[in-house]
Amino acid sequence: MNTAINLMNAAILAGTPLLLATCGEILTEKSGSLNLGVEGMMYMGAVAGLAGAWYAEQWFRQGGILAVLFAVLFAFVVGALGGLIYAVLTVSLRANQNVTGLTLAIFGTGFGKFFGEILGLKAGGFVSVNAATKGAFGNIKMGALSDIPILGTILFKYNWMVYFALLVAFVMGWFLNKTRKGLSLRAVGESPGTADSAGINVTRYRYVAALTGGGLCGLAGMYMSMVSQKGIWVHDCVSGYGWLAIALVIFSTWSPMRAIYSSIIFGGLTVMYMYVPIPGLPAAIYMMFPYIATIVVLIITSIWQSKEHAQPAGTGLNYFREER
Amino acid sequence: MGYTYNHDLGTQGMQKELGLRDDQIINKFNTPEDAECEAALKELVEQGCHIIFATSFGFEDYVVTVAPDNPDVTFCHASGWQCAIDDLDNTHNYFGKIYQARYLSGIAAGLKTEANMLGYVCAKPFAECISGFSGFYLGALSVNPDVKMKVMYTNEWNDPPKEAQVAQALIDLGCDVLGQHCDSTAPATAAEAAGVFHVGYNSDMIGAAPNASLTSAVWDWSRYLTLAVSNLVEGKEIPQDFNPGLIEGAVNVSALNEAIIAPGTAEAIEAARAKILSGDWDVFEGPLKNDAGEIIVKEGETFIEPASSPSWEHILEGIEIVG
Repeated sequence: MNTAINLMNAAILAGTPLLLATCGEILTEKSGSLNLGVEGMMYMGAVAGLAGAWYAEQWFRQGGILAVLFAVLFAFVVGALGGLIYAVLTVSLRANQNVTGLTLAIFGTGFGKFFGEILGLKAGGFVSVNAATKGAFGNIKMGALSDIPILGTILFKYNWMVYFALLVAFVMGWFLNKTRKGLSLRAVGESPGTADSAGINVTRYRYVAALTGGGLCGLAGMYMSMVSQKGIWVHDCVSGYGWLAIALVIFSTWSPMRAIYSSIIFGGLTVMYMYVPIPGLPAAIYMMFPYIATIVVLIITSIWQSKEHAQPAGTGLNYFREER
Repeated sequence: MGYTYNHDLGTQGMQKELGLRDDQIINKFNTPEDAECEAALKELVEQGCHIIFATSFGFEDYVVTVAPDNPDVTFCHASGWQCAIDDLDNTHNYFGKIYQARYLSGIAAGLKTEANMLGYVCAKPFAECISGFSGFYLGALSVNPDVKMKVMYTNEWNDPPKEAQVAQALIDLGCDVLGQHCDSTAPATAAEAAGVFHVGYNSDMIGAAPNASLTSAVWDWSRYLTLAVSNLVEGKEIPQDFNPGLIEGAVNVSALNEAIIAPGTAEAIEAARAKILSGDWDVFEGPLKNDAGEIIVKEGETFIEPASSPSWEHILEGIEIVG
């Protein structure tokens, strides 16, 4: 029983950055942009979030909530900057989406490592936030709620970003499916030509989606540096989570709501070997499970051929009015 | 704040000691253990380096590929074994008896644990790591006969999120002091967040986790780098294989975290240090049993590493490999 609870905790913690990045990428793909640069934008957000918290501590001589606000602001803006680079290149200049995304992944990784090192030099060896900021990113105790046996441990003892990521997923699910603007965004992703003739500004929708999506990936990166690494810059703190998130978009079939449980399953699969070791099964095989699961989902959805569970038809293609 | 950072500190120490200029040293960081390493080595040769230090185990295959074509360049590789036994004059191995420092740091862990259960976040099931955690465990055992240890692998030298997750998994299994053989500070900060303790590796991690990090087993690479570079300059032979330990000052434990170490830790560590420094005692002293209960080092005998690259691969009684 304890093992199951601990596994659930670890799965949710591992799934949270995946959920944020996946929501960001779903939004971007729903608008018709296939941005493969999630890993890069996460790196940018990871270093920017840490820089925001660290500079806030230096400027105001205090950590805690204020440092958290600065971390969020920096991470979102710098992540959105990654999205902006992508949007300028693909939407305005009509560069190939796949190539641009992959380039952004490499660029962002370098960006993160470069500024992480610089931050380290500035801080005199290595960067570390103070105890108050660490605490603000730590687990929250919610009084009586946290003390409920089992349920309290599974639901009410996480850091704030876990609940924030859930909120993002719910809001995005509502936005895409229940609002006029969400409908327009989906139209832009499915068939930009049709959307354009209906008077929807394709360029603006794609820009806003890429920027917001990038910002969410930035926040996912901030989770890696601030929660997972407790506010210390280490090499490779994102460590492939961006690529996992892209697989997770497929696994959750472009739905933020399904991304919630999918991210917990994915997170669970990445930590499962630590909690439920299977004697004789090499960890390397164990670690392939998330990807095997993605392939299975891809096969199933392509057999189904359900429009609702498929990648938006316009995703991956740049829109040029003159070629309509 | 890990292995590479510490190697760089060694380079800086060597530079200061020998009075080299900044433009006499070229560093290449973030080199992966694949063909990119061969390109990096060739670039360094082309840039006119006289001596090249390759610091990661997986670099050695590329060192022995590049070295025969460049007989005028000296190659030194840390933690490997091929350079020590090949016929090339320009390849050398170096590493050290880090298990001695591990033994000392294990004493701090053994005295601190209340659950009598240590956890160890370990990179790979590989002699260098196994030798390290065996030394760590024997150190803990020397001051706490009831202590047991659980080891979990990340299967990566550097994967900070996974290191944090493995640390948490070990804490969930009831471990209250963690040791580590991996590159980041993630186990230290994970231990701190969970309110347990930690013993680091490579560098002092008290700054990263002031409420958890007891001490670290550390390298001083500047000793070897200085020796190798000055020998090269003076035209003296560089040892084909160099395996220094506590006696030579190449390994040590970092400053103890006075606020949280168990009482008597410093005295126990100094006593053990004196034993090792005397030169007639070493960590792997018999009798030692493996996890199947078979005697692997007999009473009255001591296992001594034959070369700088560790070869100890026995899992000792009391250690459990979890995953």
